[in-house]
Amino acid sequence: MRFTLLLFILYHILKRAVKKNAAFRSYIGAIHNVRVMIKTADGKRGRVFIFDRGGLKSRSGATHPYDVAIVWSDPGTAFRVLSSQSDEQQFLAAAAGKMKIDGMAFFAQWFNDGVKLVM
Amino acid sequence: MALINGGHLVGKYLKQVENVDIVFGISGGHIESMLDGFTEYKIRTIDVRHEQAAAMMAHAWSVYTGRPGVCFLTAGPGFTNGLTGIANAYLDNAPMVVLCGRHPLRDDLTGALQELNQMDIVKPMTKWAATCYDTKRIPEYLSIAFRQAMEGRPGPVFLELPPDILNVKVEESQAPKPSRATRKYTVHPDDADLKNAADIINGAKKPLFLGGTGIGFSACAEQLRAFVDKSGIPFMLLNNGRGELPDTHPLSIWDAGNIGMMVTIQQADVIVSAGLRFNWILQSGKIIPPATKLVRIDIDPHEVDRNRTADAGLVGDAGSVLKQLTPLVQKRDHSEWLKTLRAASRSMLDYEIRTRENPSDPIHPIRLAAQIRSVTGEDAMYVADGGDTVYFGLTGFMSKHRAGVIGTSSGLLGCLGTGIPFAMAAKLAYPDRNVVLLNGDGSFGFNSMEFDTMVRHNIPILCVVNNDCAWGMIKHSQELSIGADRLQCSELGTRRYEKMVEGLGGHGEFVTRDEDIVPALERAIASGKPACVNVMTDPTVTSPATPLFYQSLKME
Ligand SMILES: Cc1ncc(C[n+]2csc(CCOP(=O)(O)OP(=O)(O)O)c2C)c(N)n1
Repeated sequence: MRFTLLLFILYHILKRAVKKNAAFRSYIGAIHNVRVMIKTADGKRGRVFIFDRGGLKSRSGATHPYDVAIVWSDPGTAFRVLSSQSDEQQFLAAAAGKMKIDGMAFFAQWFNDGVKLVM
Repeated sequence: MALINGGHLVGKYLKQVENVDIVFGISGGHIESMLDGFTEYKIRTIDVRHEQAAAMMAHAWSVYTGRPGVCFLTAGPGFTNGLTGIANAYLDNAPMVVLCGRHPLRDDLTGALQELNQMDIVKPMTKWAATCYDTKRIPEYLSIAFRQAMEGRPGPVFLELPPDILNVKVEESQAPKPSRATRKYTVHPDDADLKNAADIINGAKKPLFLGGTGIGFSACAEQLRAFVDKSGIPFMLLNNGRGELPDTHPLSIWDAGNIGMMVTIQQADVIVSAGLRFNWILQSGKIIPPATKLVRIDIDPHEVDRNRTADAGLVGDAGSVLKQLTPLVQKRDHSEWLKTLRAASRSMLDYEIRTRENPSDPIHPIRLAAQIRSVTGEDAMYVADGGDTVYFGLTGFMSKHRAGVIGTSSGLLGCLGTGIPFAMAAKLAYPDRNVVLLNGDGSFGFNSMEFDTMVRHNIPILCVVNNDCAWGMIKHSQELSIGADRLQCSELGTRRYEKMVEGLGGHGEFVTRDEDIVPALERAIASGKPACVNVMTDPTVTSPATPLFYQSLKME
């Protein structure tokens, strides 16, 4: 629940940044249709973020198509690591096998770097 | 009285002083007596079908053998065709010697055939360039050229030899042959700088060693092994330094791939880099967090603080600096850190690992590279050329050999078409090894006529075309930037490249299904001929290199 809420809040923060934060707007630029999914491994929770020509759309749920998915072993770990906003925590979660990347790893990094600009 | 002409003097010097036994090029009237000099002194010539391939082969020869590669170009168009290969060697710091014809000095400003101011064109892309005006001084000029190519930071050199000096005879005793210096000049860092570097390394908890082309040209396997084995530092060897220690060395993290490297760079507390420029691939150094301590070793003092100020800078040949540094570093065991970074990288590469292991339809290029590796193993020499293809090759192949995996188009010039010449040079340098080239279908087009050269000279490489019917990296980058509905100049057709190779006398295979990859590769190798295995792959697939490329050109 907390994970789903966190993703929802993240969406709203990013949506606002698209309108108000010049650095973030320039960062995402006019990129066409990049779909970043954040979800749990069991496919029960998730949210996709779609960056398209300077805009951002998002849908709740883990079944949407994506270019990259950041897949968390469980919502608790996901919440803890994401809310820590720490690269090191993400790295350690990956080392512990609690976070995996599916698809284009570059976009996971791209997304994380974008989020850093906003937080 | 013994008379010798200028062309023969060239051959004699190359053979007797520099021990050159192979040269690459295309014939031309302006350089005829030099060609005869090659015959006279039994220097093998590989006559190619486009001069850019000759220059690229000479460049590759230096990478594979550590000795300067020599190419010959005729005046005018031979020269201009060779320029891409010269520029590529320049940006790669490769010691290549270019011997080039010229219109006669006698005919300057008369509208002579192929009259062109070659020197002004070539100077900015060579380490040294000169015209020889006196037959007697040919050996002297050549000796300067070879020294310039090899000493300090290596690079390509250019010697222009007009017919007025090539085609005339001189008394041989008037053209003294300089002997080759056996000394090796080395520059050494200060003791205080070495101690400073060692202190940083000894204090590291999560260190990483990155080696580049400078490691390869230093040929410092022994010193590097002693350094990493003592310091326990996980390492990755990039560019033409790859394979100086085998990819399979227990501390090599090539299994983590480029993505693992990027992630590790961001987590390391100390980075030691040697013979590696912090160029666009490393985001001009910006990828390294500000708090990370940096020790940089380079033969060129200007590199040490370029794009990022180093905490310790050691100037000198990589091998000789490592030799001095090793006694000062403490014996360490970083196996826990290594385990962590390997495990994290595995999670990041989860998708690639699954893709490697499972059959795909249409064939995924990552799977294709894995299937190739399953056939030719770690004893082969691998070359990758293309956009996305170079990523799939660099991360998919592993070799136990020096320069065993080279992404030829991922040098600073980013030059497509380099794969075929590099693979040919690798096969000539190591005739007993399998040489496998993974080639994008776009890149394949630039030098594919060299299959004729391979047939004539019996250079049986195995070229696998990753055929996505597109200039893939550009197509996928356009999808990100201008949109999939407005693709421009980025698509190609379904072409039977293997038939073209068959037509030239090589072996061809066409593959569309996963289960046919391995048998086709095996047949191609068994044929003993230069072979092309044309594999249709998934046109929707792109690599992480493409968004990186897209991002690097985003201006607002
Ligand atoms: C000589 C040269 N021309 C053009 C380019 C621009 N370019 C970079 S990547 C690329 C596409 C490469 O396509 P291909 O060889 O088929 O490999 P793929 O990306 O499909 O794997 C092009 C055209 C270049 N780097 N070099």
